[in-house]
Amino acid sequence: MTDDSLRMLRDSAAGFARFDAARVRRMRGARPGFERGVWLEMAEMGWLGVLVPEAHEGLGMGMGAAVIIAEQLGRALYPEPYCASAVLATLTLCHGDGEALRQRYLPQLAAGKIVASLAWQDERGGLDVAHCGVRLHERGSERVLEGTCRFVETADADTFIVAARSARGIELHWIARDAAGLSCTLETRADGSASARLAFTQVAAADETRVASAACAESALALAVDHAVVAASAELLGVMDSALDLTLEYLRTRVQFGKAIGSFQALQHRAVDMYIQKELSRAALSAAATSLDAPACTPERRAAAASSVKARAAQAALSIVNEALQMHGAMGFTDEYDLGLYANRALVLSAWLGNAAAHRRRYASLLEVTP
Amino acid sequence: MSYGVPQEREWNELADEEFRALVRTEFETHHPQHLRFPPRRLRWAENRSWFVRMAAKGWIAPAWPREFGGMGLAPAKLLIFLEEQERCGIARYQDHGVLMVGPVLMRFGNEAQRRRFLPPILACEHIWCQGYSEPGAGSDLASLRTEARIEGDDFIINGQKIWTTLAHDATHMFVLARTDKKVKKQEGISFLLVDITTPGVSVRPIRDIAGHEEFCEVFLDNVRTPTANLVGELNQGWTVAKSLLGFERIHIGSPKLPEYGLQVLQSVARQQGVLDDPLFRDRLARLQLDVANLGNIYGQFTAIVARGEALGPEVSLLKIWATETFQRIAELIIETAGDCGGHAGEVRLGEASIEILAAFYKARTSSVYGGSNEIQRNILARQVLNLPG
Repeated sequence: MTDDSLRMLRDSAAGFARFDAARVRRMRGARPGFERGVWLEMAEMGWLGVLVPEAHEGLGMGMGAAVIIAEQLGRALYPEPYCASAVLATLTLCHGDGEALRQRYLPQLAAGKIVASLAWQDERGGLDVAHCGVRLHERGSERVLEGTCRFVETADADTFIVAARSARGIELHWIARDAAGLSCTLETRADGSASARLAFTQVAAADETRVASAACAESALALAVDHAVVAASAELLGVMDSALDLTLEYLRTRVQFGKAIGSFQALQHRAVDMYIQKELSRAALSAAATSLDAPACTPERRAAAASSVKARAAQAALSIVNEALQMHGAMGFTDEYDLGLYANRALVLSAWLGNAAAHRRRYASLLEVTP
Repeated sequence: MSYGVPQEREWNELADEEFRALVRTEFETHHPQHLRFPPRRLRWAENRSWFVRMAAKGWIAPAWPREFGGMGLAPAKLLIFLEEQERCGIARYQDHGVLMVGPVLMRFGNEAQRRRFLPPILACEHIWCQGYSEPGAGSDLASLRTEARIEGDDFIINGQKIWTTLAHDATHMFVLARTDKKVKKQEGISFLLVDITTPGVSVRPIRDIAGHEEFCEVFLDNVRTPTANLVGELNQGWTVAKSLLGFERIHIGSPKLPEYGLQVLQSVARQQGVLDDPLFRDRLARLQLDVANLGNIYGQFTAIVARGEALGPEVSLLKIWATETFQRIAELIIETAGDCGGHAGEVRLGEASIEILAAFYKARTSSVYGGSNEIQRNILARQVLNLPG
């Protein structure tokens, strides 16, 4: 990717993704929790295909491009499931060995015709891809999925890619939302969006539904999760940037004791600390995107780079919104004011795909094995 | 004219790995073992012979252009050079001549000043110190009161400088002095070069709380320096001085010291048997990530310099993050050392002998010098975040 084409992408993403507070509020608790029309517009700009190879009608641009899009969507609090579908589910499909499914669905994902979610975590969550709550039972030629999956984002997907443990190891299967035996309950999150909990009772699976065999499922999952962790960090960067901008504007204009409160050094220095955390997140993000796009990146380095940025961004976003809420006084805690939208989004994205503590733990364990 | 000894090779034409191997061999073979990773700033008498050797080789100014007698290293090669220097534990000397006076003369000096001052810097014959802070002008540096008046072909300088690092090793000092008292405080300052052996200069070392004598007071009593030693225009010294600040912030913002701190921390933790303690591991991971992200952002700022672009006020964040990260590491070293946390000098800890407090003392001053972190936060608040005054 040339710097010029990334710059153009940033400009077009910033131009497209405008913050629309009324839409953000309207989408809270709505089902589906995003707008198909907006999703199709994103597809038309090529965004849903930046990680899809050109052979499958994508743009094959890499994470350098994906993080630019995710950051702008985060900045404007877009509820469309970019990280969940266009990064996490799409990359899982890309790196599986279910060739027919790849041929058929990667172009549809890039075109925005379908929305997919990866269902891979069990009840307790966590970052270990070898852990899953669904089992693949085989009785003769019949194969069925049994068990539960949690933290499935987005809940409004047309189809799920389900990780299931078989006798051979983990496999991934393409299961339609309306498959017989699949029930979906919703858990509401702080920002009004939903994450799904899926229960599988005798849900049919077959060779034709297999996105990845045991030979490559774990590595495909690990790769997709690491990329999604970085993309979610980019979205968090956008969220914290907007929250900080809003706060700085408040500090410049809110007058108490006859002066703008932003002229008080105590608040200035705290604002600077918020800014430093944001800039560290940005630097970590850029380094991580570069690492992930490097052809020689090993799985360990990829995971360390992803954990480095999520540990930073998750903690930075939470500390920035906490400080922002404090500096705004009671006003910041009202639903009518926009800061709460950012704070609630930061809570959701910080927890999704591993919070700061989980990524610190993973980073520390990787340091011991990474040369 | 040539300023320094000729370079043996066109370094930038070597492959990176070849250059790294060559530099590493030189350092590993010749740098004295007992000078590696010292716990305090070394005095010139201690490390002089090493740097004189570097000077004789033409390696004293890796970043200077070749036309001025430097190695002329491209950014990637310079990074390798510095990395290898750090890997081998080669400590700084009083290098303000190479780091500051050289670049200032290249940018603001005239031909005669360059001919006069660059060769002895390259030969390690002149050692420079920085005459900025005064008893009444610390954070508010522009309010400095040391004054210089012109008398014939000389400036006559009177005043007092303080916190002058290693002035007792220096042969020369660059001085900010007031040359016009009637204008706004920043507009009446000049940048002067002074030979420290000039009559009227007296240097008194100050003992610090670590028991070391690294900084000094310098008294200037009717000190004469030729008007030819004015760098830049008269009363434009603030501009000259400011051009060095961004550079200094990048230098202080290097991950080098925090990385050294992490190494000490891990040695202490190993001896104390807490490397597997989940609470300790989380705190260590937090600091490792703080340093990793410092490296990410440091790389971005050095890339700006490498592209030849000017550094904005944003670079202040680098100084804040590097120094405060180092401080958090130093504090965890002390805590992890437990009952030994108050022991001075080298302390026996399990199998090892470790200086527990060296990082603490080094880190403590770093948030004060080079513009205190409070001043850096003021700069960021006003100039980057556009908060009102």
